[in-house]
Amino acid sequence: MTDIFTSKLSKSYEDVLAVNSLDLSINNEIYGLLGPNGSGKTTTVGMLTTLLSPSSGNAQVCGHDVTTEPKTVRECISYVPQYMAVDIRLTGRENIDFYAKLYGIRDKSERKKRIDYALDIMDLNDRADDLTKTYSGGMQRRLELAQALTHQPKVLFLDEPTVGLDVIARKMIWEHIADLKKNGITIFVTTHQMEEAERYCDRVGILKKGVVVKEGTPSHLKSALKSIITIKSDGKMPNILPDNVDFIGNENGSVVYASDNGADMLPSLIKKYDEAGIRVYSSMVRDPTLEDIYLMSVGTETVDTEQFNRAQIRRIIMKG
Amino acid sequence: MYRFATYVWRDTIRWKRAPLNVLSTLAMPAAWLIFMGLVMPVKYDNYLDFVTPGILVLTMLTSSLGAGSSIMFDKTLGYLNKFLALPSPRESILIGKIVFITLRGLMQSTVILIISILIGATIYPISTYIGMYILLTLFGISISALGTTVALYLDNHDSYAAFQAFVSMPLYFASTALIPMNEMPDALRYIAEFNPLTYAIDGIRDIAQGIIPTFSICFLIILAILIMIVCSWKFRSITIG
Ligand SMILES: Nc1ncnc2c1ncn2[C@@H]1O[C@H](COP(=O)(O)OP(=O)(O)O)[C@@H](O)[C@H]1O
Ligand SMILES: [Mg+2]
Repeated sequence: MTDIFTSKLSKSYEDVLAVNSLDLSINNEIYGLLGPNGSGKTTTVGMLTTLLSPSSGNAQVCGHDVTTEPKTVRECISYVPQYMAVDIRLTGRENIDFYAKLYGIRDKSERKKRIDYALDIMDLNDRADDLTKTYSGGMQRRLELAQALTHQPKVLFLDEPTVGLDVIARKMIWEHIADLKKNGITIFVTTHQMEEAERYCDRVGILKKGVVVKEGTPSHLKSALKSIITIKSDGKMPNILPDNVDFIGNENGSVVYASDNGADMLPSLIKKYDEAGIRVYSSMVRDPTLEDIYLMSVGTETVDTEQFNRAQIRRIIMKG
Repeated sequence: MYRFATYVWRDTIRWKRAPLNVLSTLAMPAAWLIFMGLVMPVKYDNYLDFVTPGILVLTMLTSSLGAGSSIMFDKTLGYLNKFLALPSPRESILIGKIVFITLRGLMQSTVILIISILIGATIYPISTYIGMYILLTLFGISISALGTTVALYLDNHDSYAAFQAFVSMPLYFASTALIPMNEMPDALRYIAEFNPLTYAIDGIRDIAQGIIPTFSICFLIILAILIMIVCSWKFRSITIG
């Protein structure tokens, strides 16, 4: 049995094809679905968690079809959505207890055992009886993971679990995710944080406008590129590039190139800059990262972050 | 059973821990009652006895429409999505909301009844109060189911607030809450005759006089059933969209 299996899975809203013919097969791993805002990550998670019905194609989770056996699917999964939703007027323990009850664990001592276990695993023991109003963003996220754990799911869906958290909190969340996988839980996680995906995901799929354009282990994907040259200059980039040097995209104000042998090609690339009259401030040759692959696959099209921010701000205001 | 009680438990704690909520839900109806009962015309022997059923139903109306804001809150803040991905029956979310809101409304009604007695309303036998609670419960279920259904259709708090304002005041003034049916202008009377508030209010007045309001009860039962059917159908259709 495959934990997550989809075949030609698609979803369209009135005028947008949000997810386009997705084929996935995921088992005993941390699978990262990567893509810019609006690429269809949340829609994919929505279909797999039975919140949205597919427009066409099909999907099975834990061997059960999401449209014909949604209830059985929900029995084997847990889901932590993109936007945090813990009840701030409940304590950490009460928040978990609430979910444990909804998961149907009626026996009080069993419930207590599972709550204590979840609190323990997520390092929330010492603050368990404080109102979650007083929790940091990272703690609230961990609390949501703890809620999801009382259910002992086979598959855990996490939609952008680290968005909006600081570096330390992010690392902590990922360490916890990695531990869960060791305990036999399959994890489907979406993110647009490439360093994190590269470090923690067993396999990733890169989503562009609803289509998976690349899929594989991070190291396999990276092996498509030999080396990377980045150049910071006062202008754009030369029109003519040396053979064997390919433009990938723009990243943090630098232009990124791929080459089979960056160290050898750097001088001739800089020469092209000189010939075009562009002044080079700095240059660097390095090994490829997943971010480079991502950049190459989805391009640098400026993503519409405004929509995202507005929703985020509204949520923050309403919680306060 | 167990699951919907869990949702009721959650809403109760959230409500209880916001002191301002508690104060406003309890103080508002009291203020209404004192204002209407003592300040308004003294054309009737005991205007307080006449107006108390109206205040009870108005309170139930406002309180029950709050079910919609509450589900809207869960929807816009992402709680609803989390609940819908759980293995527990999805309808329990809806039932939990309606039960919590109706119980809260009954609590407010109790406050009103107590205050009305304190300021001079007639004291009835227990059976009369039981009858009143039955009518109020039916009315509360209908309106809170209506509120949640409308909130499921709308997508933000502002439009729900507009609906709330648009519905509650006209319904209230076009009912028998403040003037009896036979003293109304014709236009108003036509509306009042189809207004569920009228049935709830007149039903309670009948009960107070020892009459069993069979028609009102049947009307409210049918209304509650109809709205519940539409509501659960709508709920099902949005939850798998
Ligand atoms: N309920 C909806 N109605 C219409 N369009 C939607 C809806 N939800 C998402 N979309 C659109 O579908 C696309 C994918 O969105 P989404 O899955 O949220 O992407 P991501 O999670 O990767 O940011 C976007 O173009 C978005 O505008
Ligand atoms: Mg998303």
